[in-house]
Amino acid sequence: MKYFLRKLGQLVIVVFAVTFTVSLALGAIPYAEERIIAAKGSGAINEEEKNKLLDSLNLREPTLVQYGYFVGDLVTLDWGVTLNGNQPISSSISDGLKISLRLMIYGQLVALLLAIPAAVFAAYRSGGLFDRFSTTFSFGFISTPNYVLATVLGLLLTVRWKLFPAISTDVGFFEAPWDHFTNFFLPTIVLALPLAGTYMRLLRSDLINTLQSDFITTARAKGVSTPRILFGHALRPSLFSLVTAAAVNVGALVGGSVVVETAFNLNGLGRRTVLGIFASEFRLVQITVVVLALVYVMTNFLVDILYGFLDPRVRVGRLG
Amino acid sequence: MDSSTLVSVSDGWVRTTTLTDTATLDPLHDEPTPPRFRRRGRITMWVSGAWLLFIVFSAVGASFLPYVNHSCDQFENEDLCTTHVETNPLLAERPPSWALFSETSRPVVGDAPERFGLFGTDTNGYDLFSRTMFGARNSLLIGALSISFGILIGGMLGLVAGYMGKRVDKIIDTIMNILLAFPALLLAIFIVGFFDSSTTTEAESRSIVPIVIALVILSIPPIARLVRANTIVFAQREFVLAARSLGAKNSRIIMREILPNVMPAMVTFAITGMAILIVAEGALAYLGLSVTAPTPTWGAMIFGGQTKLETAWWISIMPSIILFVTVLAINLLGDALSEKFRIREAIG
Repeated sequence: MKYFLRKLGQLVIVVFAVTFTVSLALGAIPYAEERIIAAKGSGAINEEEKNKLLDSLNLREPTLVQYGYFVGDLVTLDWGVTLNGNQPISSSISDGLKISLRLMIYGQLVALLLAIPAAVFAAYRSGGLFDRFSTTFSFGFISTPNYVLATVLGLLLTVRWKLFPAISTDVGFFEAPWDHFTNFFLPTIVLALPLAGTYMRLLRSDLINTLQSDFITTARAKGVSTPRILFGHALRPSLFSLVTAAAVNVGALVGGSVVVETAFNLNGLGRRTVLGIFASEFRLVQITVVVLALVYVMTNFLVDILYGFLDPRVRVGRLG
Repeated sequence: MDSSTLVSVSDGWVRTTTLTDTATLDPLHDEPTPPRFRRRGRITMWVSGAWLLFIVFSAVGASFLPYVNHSCDQFENEDLCTTHVETNPLLAERPPSWALFSETSRPVVGDAPERFGLFGTDTNGYDLFSRTMFGARNSLLIGALSISFGILIGGMLGLVAGYMGKRVDKIIDTIMNILLAFPALLLAIFIVGFFDSSTTTEAESRSIVPIVIALVILSIPPIARLVRANTIVFAQREFVLAARSLGAKNSRIIMREILPNVMPAMVTFAITGMAILIVAEGALAYLGLSVTAPTPTWGAMIFGGQTKLETAWWISIMPSIILFVTVLAINLLGDALSEKFRIREAIG
């Protein structure tokens, strides 16, 4: 319980600091007012409208008052509309979140599907041909920047062989399953391969450790078949760091797939933020960053709590 | 069971500590496998070291080496070359001299010299190989500067947090948590965008300073975490206690007793961290937020060739390859080093 409260306290502090910084940041941006007005479409706007606009964003209030308004708007979900398109910010964010979540889930699934069998087999014949092969490859994947991967795959699969559309469009799975597949295949692969490399290395080294322990020898002595030993006995106790990494990535990937989203022109949450920064859509950016930070912090919090339950060592002591 | 793997969850950076030497025992077979990693490790280490040496040498001496700033430099009548580039820039892209498989040779207008290079030329007629080597200068400079400052600040914070413990540790930990809560690239983008003082969305010229600052801020939390974890281990050792009972000041204990012991981990992490930061700079460039055209970085070059992928793939593929090989070499070297240090720690 004490552990839970401590983590909750940390969570509250971090959320407060994030919202405060984000709120403050607007005031620190050079020429914020001019940029906002430029984004609104400078020619058509007169002095009165300008003042109204700036007042509605509380830009001229003192910092603390600004923060108050910001949090108030956040909590009451009164997020306003974007400067140019008059699209409600909330709908823009939910659209982006949909794409980002989809990418994250696909990427994680593919990464895990690639990594787990590869790691198990590599650990089983550690030092063997497959182990060497897969370790080298996973190292290669980890060392490949995702934009390089996107460029190379894009060149080969879309430009040369025209297998996939160069620009992915967000097609729902139930509307057109095949189009959905072709549109999300490349982004998923680009996202998944480096992840798979990391996961494989983590799981492989843990598995090798587990396979040395006594209960595996016992199982072997009892005549349990090798696949059963590997998947039934050895895998579960070795999953700890893999699950941790995957869980942490759930939060990190929602906002962290900016490059992939940009490469394939998917309007995910990250890309919307980047475009928002370029287009001086500060309010959209502020709220998106808060949402992303919340997703990240909440997943980490949940992971912490879960592990507190699963493994008492985490709850009691510091593992440093 | 003498092996244990502990993972710290709360940081968002997964840290695994494996306490056994993994490579030597094969559990499902009776005879232990020979330590075959040794030899291969040494060879890869030499190869990657040689590659990095070449890149660093090129980066430092690009102006003195026979790398051409412009492909037309190699011809006597430079005007002829550049005029053609100006009038019809499409003619400037030439595939690499060895890439016979590429849909090549649009005819060169008039009697302009045939332009090509090891890596081909880009839209402006620049020789890509030379440009990549000049780009190495910026990429490596950005990577090295940011990791140095990151190690300096993050290392300091980690040492203080790990040694002082208690309240100081908690405060620093919270600050790091806050930094980590911001999506990494977005934070960098914001910082870089923040330094664009002009009202327009695209700045005329962008120096490396904001990029370095952004990358330093990104690198601080993981470094601080790593150093803190290492510091805690050493802060409980006898020699620290001895130093304290001799009346040494905290600053002295940190700098003279703990820092030298934490150094190997820091150096190893700095090497991998540099690779990460070079990649991160590339990502910034890919999003259109790095140093501007006349001073290329690898990321900016890759980004610049994106639109030409269909007709002139080499413009972004060539720097991509160089970037990939360099990152791979740095990672391999870091990996080999960490193995080395782990072995030494295990013995000593």
